[in-house]
Amino acid sequence: MKHFLPFALCLVGFASLALATDRQQHVVFRRALPAATSTSLRVAGWLGLLLALAALVAWQGWSLGLVMFSGHTSLAAGLVLLALIGRGRLQA
Amino acid sequence: MKPEPLDDEPRLTGRGIRQSMSDLHTWAGLLFGWILFAMFLTGTVAYFKDELSQWMRPELPFQAQIPDRAAVAQRVADELNSLVPGSPQWSMRLPDARNNSVYAFWRTGTRAPDRRGFGEGHFDPVTGKTVSSRETQGGDFFLRFHFQFHYMSALWGRWLAGAAAMFMLVAIVSGVITHKKIFTDFFTFRWGKGQRSWLDAHNALSVFGLPFHFMITYTGLVTLMAMYVPWGERAAIKTPAERGQLAAELSAFIQPGRPSGQAAPLASVEDMVRQAQERWGRDGVGRVTAVNVGDAAARVAVSRGEVGRVSMSPQLLEFEGTTGKLLSVRESVGPAAEVRGVLYGLHLGRFSDTVTRWLYFLVSFAGTAMVGTGIVMWTVKRRSKLPDPERPYLGFRLVERLNIASVAGLSIAMTAYLWANRLLPHGLPGRADWEIHGFFLVWAAALAHALLRPAKKAWIEQLWTAAALLALLPVLNALTTARPLWRSLAEGDWIFAGVDLMCLALAALYVALALRTARHKPRTRPARSAAPVGARLAQEGA
Repeated sequence: MKHFLPFALCLVGFASLALATDRQQHVVFRRALPAATSTSLRVAGWLGLLLALAALVAWQGWSLGLVMFSGHTSLAAGLVLLALIGRGRLQA
Repeated sequence: MKPEPLDDEPRLTGRGIRQSMSDLHTWAGLLFGWILFAMFLTGTVAYFKDELSQWMRPELPFQAQIPDRAAVAQRVADELNSLVPGSPQWSMRLPDARNNSVYAFWRTGTRAPDRRGFGEGHFDPVTGKTVSSRETQGGDFFLRFHFQFHYMSALWGRWLAGAAAMFMLVAIVSGVITHKKIFTDFFTFRWGKGQRSWLDAHNALSVFGLPFHFMITYTGLVTLMAMYVPWGERAAIKTPAERGQLAAELSAFIQPGRPSGQAAPLASVEDMVRQAQERWGRDGVGRVTAVNVGDAAARVAVSRGEVGRVSMSPQLLEFEGTTGKLLSVRESVGPAAEVRGVLYGLHLGRFSDTVTRWLYFLVSFAGTAMVGTGIVMWTVKRRSKLPDPERPYLGFRLVERLNIASVAGLSIAMTAYLWANRLLPHGLPGRADWEIHGFFLVWAAALAHALLRPAKKAWIEQLWTAAALLALLPVLNALTTARPLWRSLAEGDWIFAGVDLMCLALAALYVALALRTARHKPRTRPARSAAPVGARLAQEGA
């Protein structure tokens, strides 16, 4: 269960980063978000990833923590992309 | 809609660095793509090699609880004493969460009737007796194939694997340079746009796993480093004594010294393992090795397991065999050896808990898909530019067919290996070898099929074959063993249930791939295609 928190942080982090990009804003909201919103999304996204890394390193130390971080980030980014694709397909 | 310019297509401004890198990426990737795909897929599966090995030895009973390792070590040591009295060396791997048997190998000394003087066996942790199970290499075949292939000397195989890994590093670096919009395009996938979609998928699979792929390729090279670059070692280490010391530093085994010739029984192995457990925890003991057993010069080493530490560097307690006195504690190696140990450990991922193991599996699987999409893209990109799509040139046809055999054909062959495990008669001489021959025979048949059939039909037929073989494997297991899926589920045997369920999940994946391939209509790119309109219409009608 200790894997859940870092994974959730990665997921939220990548989702925020995705929504901070122009292309995804047009796909998801059909309009550009205000610049301030995009910036805070971007900051929140990176913060989520850093917190996930911190949680893993605090739990497992650097070597195991970094390996697990690379796994969690890959999976989370993949799921965010799949969600975006799925959403795009449903709208189409 | 106007086709968007592709990142990897020639610019009007001449050949910049990105274009050279793109060419390098394409051709390095294609040349070793088939080998890399096979290495990735078998290596990915090998993360579950212990589970597969259990599944392939259904005679070894399900282990609901890990038995007390100290008592197990004593039982098997006693059994080994009566099996090979006075063995110069034996070593046993104790059971753990992923292994339900004690695997031991031993040297029988010079008086042995067989030339090599080695023996091995699986032992029941509860009784200590040998278990007779079907002869198989289990999941270890995939692991070994992954870095040294088969039907060639291990040395040549490892050189080939090393060359492929070097090309992989080249492909990673050149791929990153070619892909100029990593951050902008990070979450971009354009659905249903032919080549563009393939490129997006390839990029996503590559970029998401980039740190992992880089790590796995680099550490993979490190595992075989001493073989590739032996000169430093050869210059520094000249005498046999020094070589022995190096071996001792890097391995968990102890070397047998000269026996005294004076008979003396072995002290309690159980007590030695208990001492190690006090130090490393109940689950921390991995292996027990003894040398000069039955002699006054006997020594026993209890070494630490790999779970929970990212290093393959051995840690061990060494005991005097006859008294059980602790002689030495080795818990650290020199910095260079430790770096090697960590990189080695990272590649193998044996330290992992179950979640991390699955992460390794999933990201490696994505890596497999990355290589797969890469080699398929080579044909997708060129198909639209063929002068006559009905009759592609020889190189194109060759790549297309090799893609089918290496992607779909390998999946069929790997499943066939598991089928052979259930179907070959138990007493067949060389049974374990025949399982492997079966794997290659089926793979060769897949290649022949791919060469003989029209490309699209070959893809569809092979994908359906893989799906059918995977979906029926749990059925075959239920028919040929006493451990069908429903029973493993009821008993909480997640090793057997896991393999069966994984086969079903993969079968679903192959069904999806087969359906998509069947529905797919190759797109032409009117702006670029040199084909006359009639030929294009004919192709779209096909």
